[in-house]
Amino acid sequence: MTVPHSVRIGALVLATTAFYGYVGQLVPQKEVQPPPEVAIRSDLTTADMVPVGREIMAGKGLCFTCHTIGKTGALRFPDLEGVDVRAKSRIPGLSDVEYLAQSMYEPDAYIVQGFNPGMPHINQPPISLTDQEILCVIAYLQTLGGTPTVTLRTTHRYNGGTAAPAPGAAPGGGAR
Amino acid sequence: MVVSRKLLFLLGPVAGIVMFIAVVWMATVFVGRNEYKDPYRAPAATADSTPRAEGVAAEKDEAEKKAQEKPYAEAEYRRFPVVGSRVAIWAVAQLHLLFAAFVLAVPIFAFIIEAIGYKTGDPRYDRLAHEFSRLLSVSFSLTATFGAFLTFMLIILYPKFTNYLMSVFSPTFLPYVLLFFAEAFFLYTYYYGWGKFHPLVHLGLGLGLNVVGTGIMMIANSWLTFMMSPSGVSSKGALISLTDAIYNYTWMPINVHRFIANIAFGGSIAAAYAAVKFLQAETDEERAHYDWMGYIGNFVAISAFLPLPFAGYWLAKEIYAYSQTLGLTMMGGAFSWLFIIQAVLIGNLFLAANYYLWLGMGRVEGAQPFQRFVKYLLAAIVLCFMIWATPRSIIATVSEVRAMGGSAHPVLGFLGVMSAKNTAVNILILTTFMSFLLYRRTGKVASVTWAKTGHALQLSIFAAAAFVVIFLGVYGYFVEASVRIGLSVPQVGAVLLAMVSITAIDIFLFRKPRNTGAVRWGRIPAISQYVLIFIAVTFTWLMGLMGYVRSGLRQHWHVYGIIRDNSPDAFTPTLGFATEVVSVTVLAFFLLIGFVFWIASLHDRPDFERGQSL
Repeated sequence: MTVPHSVRIGALVLATTAFYGYVGQLVPQKEVQPPPEVAIRSDLTTADMVPVGREIMAGKGLCFTCHTIGKTGALRFPDLEGVDVRAKSRIPGLSDVEYLAQSMYEPDAYIVQGFNPGMPHINQPPISLTDQEILCVIAYLQTLGGTPTVTLRTTHRYNGGTAAPAPGAAPGGGAR
Repeated sequence: MVVSRKLLFLLGPVAGIVMFIAVVWMATVFVGRNEYKDPYRAPAATADSTPRAEGVAAEKDEAEKKAQEKPYAEAEYRRFPVVGSRVAIWAVAQLHLLFAAFVLAVPIFAFIIEAIGYKTGDPRYDRLAHEFSRLLSVSFSLTATFGAFLTFMLIILYPKFTNYLMSVFSPTFLPYVLLFFAEAFFLYTYYYGWGKFHPLVHLGLGLGLNVVGTGIMMIANSWLTFMMSPSGVSSKGALISLTDAIYNYTWMPINVHRFIANIAFGGSIAAAYAAVKFLQAETDEERAHYDWMGYIGNFVAISAFLPLPFAGYWLAKEIYAYSQTLGLTMMGGAFSWLFIIQAVLIGNLFLAANYYLWLGMGRVEGAQPFQRFVKYLLAAIVLCFMIWATPRSIIATVSEVRAMGGSAHPVLGFLGVMSAKNTAVNILILTTFMSFLLYRRTGKVASVTWAKTGHALQLSIFAAAAFVVIFLGVYGYFVEASVRIGLSVPQVGAVLLAMVSITAIDIFLFRKPRNTGAVRWGRIPAISQYVLIFIAVTFTWLMGLMGYVRSGLRQHWHVYGIIRDNSPDAFTPTLGFATEVVSVTVLAFFLLIGFVFWIASLHDRPDFERGQSL
């Protein structure tokens, strides 16, 4: 029995679309929800801020879309392992808190050698982290090679604090 | 018992009327039974007033008063039943875009083919262009219908956001509608005026149709690209400059990308039409004609397809330039695996396009010397396909990840990065281009005096381009990211330069060739026609997938970074779900395009005559 061409064509169209639909099922399946708003209580201690900062980095901040922790090789953006050590000495006159704040509020102010500019302004849309959320992120980043010192009352030049501290200022605490 | 067809013909409407009456009667009965009826109460004059009755009356008055005082509130979202608003808009927008792409593409190559016919005086080209344009009028109606459907759906389901877009782009709507009128004028005069005007006047109509069609596309592109890379507005969304809102980062790359992709897509659908007609053909003459038509359609599709990745690079570059976050979401975040699916589709397209060309060599006498290269070309294509489809990270269990020392395979992981993928796709393009060159050489020999030098020069350019692509691909593993990203530009440049210069040499080389074998149109295996249909389905599916990534990239934003999506559909679905929606939309499109083919084929049917059986 000869199968009519129209049936064969229909079967081909159906089989092709079904095949591509099947290929779509073979790749990892992940539903991405809009980032939840993280409520930051005013009484958070520095130790409490660290896990909150980690959560913000993985979610609303989208940090791990680009940055890695503990990865080497051909990277497109700087790895964050030991970032606090580098942050303390990267720009003379800037404490680690000031430098980390600058890299989020004004990311093009300093570009790490070997990388292209590309970091978005974290306090602006589409990411729009609040000042307090950024402080939590800084608290977490300080744990990568250092000890967290920021509190929710820490001020720096981008959240209403003073300008960058003078050279030789004590590292770690940020301007209060 | 044999009932005559005429009797059946008469009984049909009678049965229809009876069924209609029955349906109305049944609906009346069911509605009447289920309708709410107040329970019987004694008339007010005879009923005693009770505290309960007074309370009920007071409540009723209160409710009426509240209803009257209710202020007007604009709905932000409305829900579409069953599938939800996002999927409903998605399917309608996709169908509108597929038909729009077809309607914009067919006039482009119909115009070019008609111009070739006018220049060469060969009436076959004119007939071919006319036949392509036969698909236009029904497709145009379907495009407009889906466009209106999409507009209503946006107003109903996303009223607040639609209102915002209208407030920003209101000055563009009137020109859009006027251009649509002009499009209708040019399209119908172009089609119905075939052979009725001086050829140059008719070509002028075709040119007008293309200019107006491109204008319509560019206006609509400004709306959708603004959603992805908004500019000309404040951070709160207030309009500052309409020019900047239109001329946003991704507007021109999308214009160029869509213009080329539409031609590739339209060519593939027209080739599929020819394939269907070939398979249904009853005479050798018909088969020869539709074989030729399918070849031209596919030639148009693949010629447009080859530079498409370069337009894609430009678009991706502009997305990164607008927002690194957006770019990284696309290539390294939620959508990164989508590009593995894309690699499967494009790999299949390259394989099928080459296979069709190789099958086509069989219709040319004396093509055997070239067919021996096919196995090498196939090996190169398969190798590139495999590299392109290799993911950077492998789906693995925890123990497997530990054994590999990470989510990337210790060996295959090297093929999953952009250096390898860029190299693979560029070599894939060069290989397909080589297939074209070989096909062009079947049945003829260059007769110019510098033929040997010309061939050697072409081969040298080809080898140099391949060397540049592979060298830069390997070099990319040894340099920093800031250098590596820039290497794709010279890779693409080398391939483009090779294609343009080799084609230019080829045109002069085969200006007056010596024929060594005739082309026997129609002498091609039937499977080649199924390949053309497969290419058309794959192109359509690819357009659906890439349309999804372009739109879905905004994730939970209507206008990226400005107007947030607060609807229940604000999440980004899984790729599995997305591909299911794309598959269903593609099937719906092919059902409708089958209808277009059928309408177009009525043109060839003999007129119905009285006395002819039903």
